[in-house]
Amino acid sequence: MNKILGSITLFYHKLGSYPWFYSISSKLLPISTFLAFMIFLLGIVWGIFYSPSDVTQGEIYRIIYMHVPAASVAQSIYFSLAIAGFVYLVWKMKMAGLFIKAMAPIGASFTILALVSGAIWGQPTWGTWWVWDARLTSTLVLLLFYLAIIGLYSSFDNKKTADQAVSILAMVGAVNLPIIKKSVDWWNTLHQPSSIRIFEESTISSEMLYPLLICILSFYLMVFVFGLMAMRTEIAKREMTKDWFKKMVKKND
Amino acid sequence: MIFLKSFFSREVLIYSKKSSNVISPVIFFLICIAFFPLAISNDPKELSRLAPGLIWICILLAGMLSIQTIFKEDYDDGSLDLFYVRRFSMLQVVLIKIFVNWIFTALPLILLSCSMVFLLYFPLEKLLNLIGSLFIGTLIISFFGALAGALSLGRNSILASAIMLPLSLPVLILGSSASTYSSENITFFILLLLALLFFSVPIISIACIGAIRLHYE
Repeated sequence: MNKILGSITLFYHKLGSYPWFYSISSKLLPISTFLAFMIFLLGIVWGIFYSPSDVTQGEIYRIIYMHVPAASVAQSIYFSLAIAGFVYLVWKMKMAGLFIKAMAPIGASFTILALVSGAIWGQPTWGTWWVWDARLTSTLVLLLFYLAIIGLYSSFDNKKTADQAVSILAMVGAVNLPIIKKSVDWWNTLHQPSSIRIFEESTISSEMLYPLLICILSFYLMVFVFGLMAMRTEIAKREMTKDWFKKMVKKND
Repeated sequence: MIFLKSFFSREVLIYSKKSSNVISPVIFFLICIAFFPLAISNDPKELSRLAPGLIWICILLAGMLSIQTIFKEDYDDGSLDLFYVRRFSMLQVVLIKIFVNWIFTALPLILLSCSMVFLLYFPLEKLLNLIGSLFIGTLIISFFGALAGALSLGRNSILASAIMLPLSLPVLILGSSASTYSSENITFFILLLLALLFFSVPIISIACIGAIRLHYE
């Protein structure tokens, strides 16, 4: 038991070190990129060519294979930011601050992807690009939170202060986000006449479900890859003048 | 106790000496309200339907103006440094500053909202709902505004608004619903708003202290 705990602690301390992360990520990056790409290809090809078309929506429903993974990833990234913010504020792990800086633009991009793909999906099925529906509205608010984090970060010159500020904001935002979601849900039931039913029976046939799950998995892998790349870039930016970085660059030349 | 009292009177003194901080939200609020009928329509029916939403939006936007006044001046002239260095209880400092700020910037607006019965044909029987929800809602907004102001001390004010406004969304929804729907539901909305208040006061004040601290590290 102590051994396991010890190795976890060791891993945690290693995770906080820039050189260790930089070298381990350079090994992880090719494998995970390959995996992400292959699984994405599998899911998309299965979803687009080999899954049956929907009874009511026809072929257009296939945008689900982009839309649902993007929306799911967008929310998960926000909560990972909040966890990183907690880790940063409590244990002062500098890698957590860097994580927020690196992941926030990625999360914002996936949120935009979810919104845009949803609009493209909505046009033929509901006849409109945008509905003030609960899910759409809370995704829009999620985007605002991402933008606030990015904006706040960029307004500081000192990286350490910036990390701390965005950690606080990410945590407060994560606490508030469920409340916002709940209140928007509830606002929606008051205002929206139920003329548009967005989700019909939520039973999805397994032939559609499996490629969807594969797509979701591949999106998470993609986020992992993008996150590694963004964090490596950020480490390079912050540690450019440090000895270990110069040595490593020299060695690779 | 002595510190609390003297700090409170100091804050009150500052606001009463520098009246522009108190007047500018009022002017802004009035201009906003006055321009809505010009932009939309002067039909009393339509205006009275839109009135709760308009009032709440304008209150929220006027709240943006007071973000900067909570901590910024003390930060600029260095008195916030002294409070921090002298190890005064930052919790007391933060709470008193937010509360006094609320008294001087939000209370006038709440009083002014009573005049919307005439200006925007706000239905008189729902006035109590509006005032009640405004009392609690503006207090919550003040807390979010204080956090936004503390995080963006010495930065541009647009950023502070971008932090504050998304956080205040539940207040906007609950508050405008409380003043739109009939008065039998009022306890429901007021209770939800109160829940939000009691939930956010401890969290936001702790976050505020953290946000102030990071400017001194």
